[in-house]
Amino acid sequence: MPNQNGKLYGLTFLAPIIDDQKATPSHDLQIRAYLATLPTDQNSPFAKAPSTHLCRLVVMDDVVFVGHPAHEEHLKSKYLIFETNCDSDATDYLTGLAKTIPQQLDAIWSHCVGYPGAANLSEFLSYMKACQLKTTFFFAAVNDKSLPESLRALATQRAVVDFIADHQGMDPGRLQSEFKQFLAELKACPIPEPGAMAPLRNIKTGGRNE
Amino acid sequence: MSNINGKVYAMNCVTPMKPWKTPILRLIFFLLWHIKSKQQDLINLSFIEFARWVIVPKTQFPYLGNRQHKEQLQYDYLLFFSNFNGTWNQYIDAFSAVLSTGLNLIWRWSEKFPGAVPITPFKTYIAQVQFDTDYYYTAYPYATANDLKAAHIVQASLDQLSQRVDTDNPDQFAEHYLQFVLQVQAHLGVTGAAPLC
Repeated sequence: MPNQNGKLYGLTFLAPIIDDQKATPSHDLQIRAYLATLPTDQNSPFAKAPSTHLCRLVVMDDVVFVGHPAHEEHLKSKYLIFETNCDSDATDYLTGLAKTIPQQLDAIWSHCVGYPGAANLSEFLSYMKACQLKTTFFFAAVNDKSLPESLRALATQRAVVDFIADHQGMDPGRLQSEFKQFLAELKACPIPEPGAMAPLRNIKTGGRNE
Repeated sequence: MSNINGKVYAMNCVTPMKPWKTPILRLIFFLLWHIKSKQQDLINLSFIEFARWVIVPKTQFPYLGNRQHKEQLQYDYLLFFSNFNGTWNQYIDAFSAVLSTGLNLIWRWSEKFPGAVPITPFKTYIAQVQFDTDYYYTAYPYATANDLKAAHIVQASLDQLSQRVDTDNPDQFAEHYLQFVLQVQAHLGVTGAAPLC
């Protein structure tokens, strides 16, 4: 049940970070420094790899002490958390990542204990699955649409707004023929790039609600 | 700031739980999962794109060999990850106002959880157990959960209308087109950059 909601998957990985007193800067800081350089838009590695709706990488330094009378305790390792919401199960998703962005995976996870590299797919999959946690409860607001379907729908919505605005009160025959042309143009449009902002639109201002 | 990308905010929380309480929480999640009506408030909130809870028992932190020390913990841990639209304060306020019963049911098993109401100690607790995101990616940074739902409604309506375009005569098509506009008119909000505060 929990790793999946409808057609979507919520995968969670927790990888222990190497604790090497001689490493300067420490491995957790090296991960953070690298992550700070990664683009978060359409140039993100996760935009190039298939099927990621949203994902995050987080270095968990320690657990939190919530105050007395709770017992204070600490982790012996820092952990890299990878939380992803995607269209495929762990095997297919990780295979997609390993094939499209192996360099970025290596740059991040090479600071984690036992990471074998993305080049050897079976070892990579075994490693990541050893780090995987079973999600206990997973909620997805839209759980029956793949990433391409969602990107396509968002582009369609924008195009429909413009079409309706431009065709108010039009003669039925012309409306029908222009609608056919609109459908053909929409079909020919490539699916928008994941991670990109929507194109800027010229919004008419000055309405009574403004 | 890595907690934010476009219109989405990434929240991470970790709270300790006494291990004897973990099976109770698992049962609650099991019931919440299988009784869909119990998820209605979460769905109605409508600004959460994805959210998850992950219970990590004290003995099940990944251990990958000799280069790592084994964890020796007394508590199990509850991890919470949310992807929501809006600001931190709006989110916590809405959670407290709409979902307080559900939240209490989930977090009351965590140490020192003060309850979702009143709001001030609840916010203090969340701020205490939250940790920041180092990298955050979304495939549709310009769209909220509501934008996404609306876009799929528009797409489905358009697909229906497109099946008629070749068979209708112009007057029939104009009538169906009008019905289409009525169907989608509440779902044509403009996506784009988040407003500046």
